[in-house]
Amino acid sequence: MRGVIKEFFNGLWKENPTFRIQIGLCPVLAVTTSAMNGIGMGLATTFVLTCSNILVSLLRKVIPDKVRIPCYIIVIATFSTIVDLVMNAFTPDLHRVLGIFIPLIVVNCILMGRAEAYASKMPVLHSALDGLGMGLGFTWALTLIGAIRELLGKGSIFDRAVTAEGAATFGMFSLPPGAFITLGVLLALMNMINARLRKAS
Amino acid sequence: MELFLIFIGAVFVNNFVLVRFLGTCPFMGVSKQVETAMGMGAATTFVMVVTAAVTWVLQWFVLEPFGLPFLQTPVFILVIAAMVQLVEMFLHKTIPNLYRALGIYLPLITTNCAVLGFSLIAAQEAYSFVEAVVFGLGAGIGFTLALMLMAGMREELRFADVPEPLMPTGIAFILAGLLSLAFSGFAGLV
Amino acid sequence: MNESARMIVVLTVIAMVSGGLLAAVYDWTSGVIAENQLKEMESAVFAVLPGAVRIELLDRGPAELVEDDPKASKETKQAANQVFVGYNEQGAPVGYAFVGEGNGYGGIIRIMVGVSEAEGKILNLTVLSHSETPGLGSRIEDAGFRNQFVGKTLSDPIAVGRDINALSGATISSRAVTEAVRRGLEQASAVYERSR
Repeated sequence: MRGVIKEFFNGLWKENPTFRIQIGLCPVLAVTTSAMNGIGMGLATTFVLTCSNILVSLLRKVIPDKVRIPCYIIVIATFSTIVDLVMNAFTPDLHRVLGIFIPLIVVNCILMGRAEAYASKMPVLHSALDGLGMGLGFTWALTLIGAIRELLGKGSIFDRAVTAEGAATFGMFSLPPGAFITLGVLLALMNMINARLRKAS
Repeated sequence: MELFLIFIGAVFVNNFVLVRFLGTCPFMGVSKQVETAMGMGAATTFVMVVTAAVTWVLQWFVLEPFGLPFLQTPVFILVIAAMVQLVEMFLHKTIPNLYRALGIYLPLITTNCAVLGFSLIAAQEAYSFVEAVVFGLGAGIGFTLALMLMAGMREELRFADVPEPLMPTGIAFILAGLLSLAFSGFAGLV
Repeated sequence: MNESARMIVVLTVIAMVSGGLLAAVYDWTSGVIAENQLKEMESAVFAVLPGAVRIELLDRGPAELVEDDPKASKETKQAANQVFVGYNEQGAPVGYAFVGEGNGYGGIIRIMVGVSEAEGKILNLTVLSHSETPGLGSRIEDAGFRNQFVGKTLSDPIAVGRDINALSGATISSRAVTEAVRRGLEQASAVYERSR
């Protein structure tokens, strides 16, 4: 049982898909213009990831090896479309902001990656927790980057103004260059933190 | 004229990688050497152009008339997966060197958000067949351009003295940010 | 069962189950989606027809509107032919409003335009949705740009370079809005005249 819990925490830090493995980066850069968008996208992806991991794991003995990729694609695409439709109906504003990146969840390398490397080989509970862990790891990465970009670019966090009215902001951080630079600097910071942790242990 | 604007828009002003953020994974993964970048870009562009044609036909002759818009994502991605398989087999037979150099990144064209992304946008914008193909071509060429520029920069990076924490990818992202900043100069061109 | 047959069967079953599941979710959500769009439109109509307290949809019954494919607005380059008539407290028509669509830079731009009953002059224009570049094309939302259209009628050219100034650095966005207004005005005024 302990092993399973470890799997869950794996995705949160040690094998964080964004900061450590560095896959599934397109949405990380595109939707993190605010913390709220980051959370929204992260949770949507977590849902799709967890569900597809569960289903792939359930079907792992049934799917013939040669057609496994198309099968995974169908499973992931189905959940991705379900999330798209449900968000359009119940969270239309968030849906409009996230735009095509919701259906693009299907090509988020994290999903195919975990389906192939993990869920197709491990039992359901492990796969579910792996999906949940990776998804939440992705989510907090998105939220952090979103918060930084929102703070620097618009002077607010979670849509609540932090800086004084009319204060100067670094608009660039709301735009594409800012996304790349924020991620680059954060990666460097994570490396430094990890180096310190290793020295300490 | 419209076609030209679509093309220029896709290559420069709304460059798929540096502005739209589509295709970032291969952008970071394959941009270490200029030759590989060029090969990857060419393969991706080819897949995009073919995908543009096939998905256009499927969208307007199957999905729409039969009232199945919700099958757009699954159908498109399966088409792309099939196209990539075909390109793989083709390269394996005709240019085996390139096939080996691209290695695992070739099947990864399937998960390149730029390919699915541009086909979804083309459907959303209701582009005509020709417009969709031109859009795909522009998207691919813009992707290749960004990839090659990045590869050129990263090759130079080998001789630079980069602080430890920024290696290997932190500095790559900051470079990408500067490249993106340069491309934002194109905004307002059209 | 030999290998090929098994591959085909598994693929087909998974595809069919997925298709069925998606169709079901689509059915369930399309009603809500259409309702959301209706509410969004209503508040936009009230914004562009000052003084209106009641709206009526012209040319199509309310039932038709809800059954419309919620993704329909994605596929047309022309203005969606929905005309709303606004009535003031006394029950007299204030004017009519229509939705215009144009191909902007980052996607479809949707606008709501209100036209006065009396002289067929544009009263107001709001941008319903757009995906234009922040800081450039997104300035179509600025009052300065939108106010250019106030007072225009069918006899005006309503064209960039003639009576409308484009936003600098946002030609495509400006042109998209302008054409949406002009085409929409032509179609909507025809529909409105027919109904009088």
